[in-house]
Amino acid sequence: MSYQSFGFLFFSAAVLLLYYLLGKKLQRWVLAVANLVFYTVAGPQYLPFILVTMLATFFTGKKMGGIYEAAETQLAACTTPAEKKAVKANAKKKAKTALIIGMAVTIALLAVCKYTGFVMRNINQILKLFHAPKLPVFKLILPLGISFYSFMALSYVLDVFWKRYPAETNFLNYAVYLSYFPHVVQGPIDRFNEFNAQIQDGVKFDSKNLVFGSELLLFGLFKKLVIADRLAPFVTHAFGFWKETNGAFLFVAMLAYSVQIYADFSGCIDIVTGVSEMFGIKLRKNFNHPYFSKTMGEFWRRWHISLQEWFKDYVYYPVSASGLMRKAKKHFNQKNKPRAAELFSSCFPILVVWLITGIWHGASWNYIIWGIYHAILLIGSQIFSPLFQKANQRLKINVSSPLWKFWQMTRTFLLCGFGRIFFRANSVTGALGYFGQMFTQFSFKALFTPLYNGLKNVYSYFTSSGSITSFWLKLRPELNRDFGLGITPANIMMALVTILILWCVDMLQEKHSLRESLLRKHIIIRWTIIFAGLFAVIVFGVYGPGYNAKSFIYEQF
Amino acid sequence: MDQLKEMLQNKYPAIDFDSEKKLTSSGILDSMAVVNIIAEIENLFDISVTMEYIQPKYFESVETMWEMVEELM
Repeated sequence: MSYQSFGFLFFSAAVLLLYYLLGKKLQRWVLAVANLVFYTVAGPQYLPFILVTMLATFFTGKKMGGIYEAAETQLAACTTPAEKKAVKANAKKKAKTALIIGMAVTIALLAVCKYTGFVMRNINQILKLFHAPKLPVFKLILPLGISFYSFMALSYVLDVFWKRYPAETNFLNYAVYLSYFPHVVQGPIDRFNEFNAQIQDGVKFDSKNLVFGSELLLFGLFKKLVIADRLAPFVTHAFGFWKETNGAFLFVAMLAYSVQIYADFSGCIDIVTGVSEMFGIKLRKNFNHPYFSKTMGEFWRRWHISLQEWFKDYVYYPVSASGLMRKAKKHFNQKNKPRAAELFSSCFPILVVWLITGIWHGASWNYIIWGIYHAILLIGSQIFSPLFQKANQRLKINVSSPLWKFWQMTRTFLLCGFGRIFFRANSVTGALGYFGQMFTQFSFKALFTPLYNGLKNVYSYFTSSGSITSFWLKLRPELNRDFGLGITPANIMMALVTILILWCVDMLQEKHSLRESLLRKHIIIRWTIIFAGLFAVIVFGVYGPGYNAKSFIYEQF
Repeated sequence: MDQLKEMLQNKYPAIDFDSEKKLTSSGILDSMAVVNIIAEIENLFDISVTMEYIQPKYFESVETMWEMVEELM
């Protein structure tokens, strides 16, 4: 049941009806059953995996909660600081054992399902060097949303271990959180305490939630069906046939992929956030107009925010606070190299985070290289930041001018785009080949000749036609002609117009909430805009007879 | 607390630590800055900042940082 399907919309509507009709006390049960139905429809074979993760992490949390509670009772009876310290240390040690078990089960399931094939293929490559026989490569099933719900489960046990909030004792609450159907497939990666606080006392029906949720859902469908799926054939063609495609088109395809993945992923997040908002449950923010970022660091604070925050809280900070880091910092400080200590303490965790980020995205060297690429950019900007600032001062660049900001945004967009070639290509060789072709076979002529010829044809049809009808009859086949790039001129024009709309909406949202201002508008204006959106999705959405709806890009992760 | 404020002011002269009360949630301090501040605090007060305290809420202002330092001392 894909999020953009009619099936999902009907399913959500039915659950919503029951959710509010059956009252606050039964809402969590309604969600639990809905989650179970949603996940079973997706594939009953996936159920045991999520269930094992759910049970393992729930009981780990419960165990740790019990340990901490017992320690609190013991602490009350302690008289000396030494006794208190010993009780605390003992509790921490016991909780750590429980934590390791819970984490091991979760990580093992994720690792086995997602990375067995990748590891086996690499082992075979090494064996090949020694002319040893190959090992069999198992193709295991990849449970739906495993990367997302595993990270949510890990965040829960770690938070309980670090006493950020108490352990949950009600399994229903935890089960609803982990399997919540709007966020289980592609996130956002929510946190248990934030989610649970919203469902604890039940949710009162609020028409504003319904209106706001519907608007967001509609905008998400617009992004996915009108923009992302329109660009998809062109991008697929370019990455599939890069050897036969001119570098200029490959460059355009790289830009198109950046737009496609944004419209696709943020579209999906808008759909699920909108649906969840109708249930009165706010999900974590996942996007904040990332293409307006002026630096790579800013980009990653605006793109897939819930994943970046997860890495910050559960990888970056723990690595930074680890014994190894402390020793390294001490070493640099003793040698009177405070700048080196500072750089090492902020850069080494970045490298670790981005290696894991790459691996998290998929079992392939492409993603690992993509991760390293971003680590290099972020570390580089950290190291050379003082140098860049000095250069800007020397060159007397007005860093607050709109032109400079526009350049910074373009630079960030292009840097992300280059990295995405590794992300999108089928293999590392394919990505390198794409790069090579893009830079060595680049021809403006190849890019503009079809455009020039097209305009020339339009002009000749216009001058030779006696009426608008005959002009249109001549023009129509031309607009729908695929000139070998997987996209027609009509789709190019439609893509450009809709990207402009998306850009304008993002620009306006940077300043204020569009939904709030829409709410303040006259009812006729508001509904005209909503119907225009609906009309755009129905009429301009890429579907129809024979059309196979494309999966969301992040569904594969 | 004055010692802490002085260290922060020296390290980040552009930030007004007297008035800023949302240093992390408003993005004034990013994760790298937080890591660097932790290192400075550990050196200054000879304490070890444990994971329980490495949360944005403890780095929102000088007061919250001081609260953390007091709890760790």
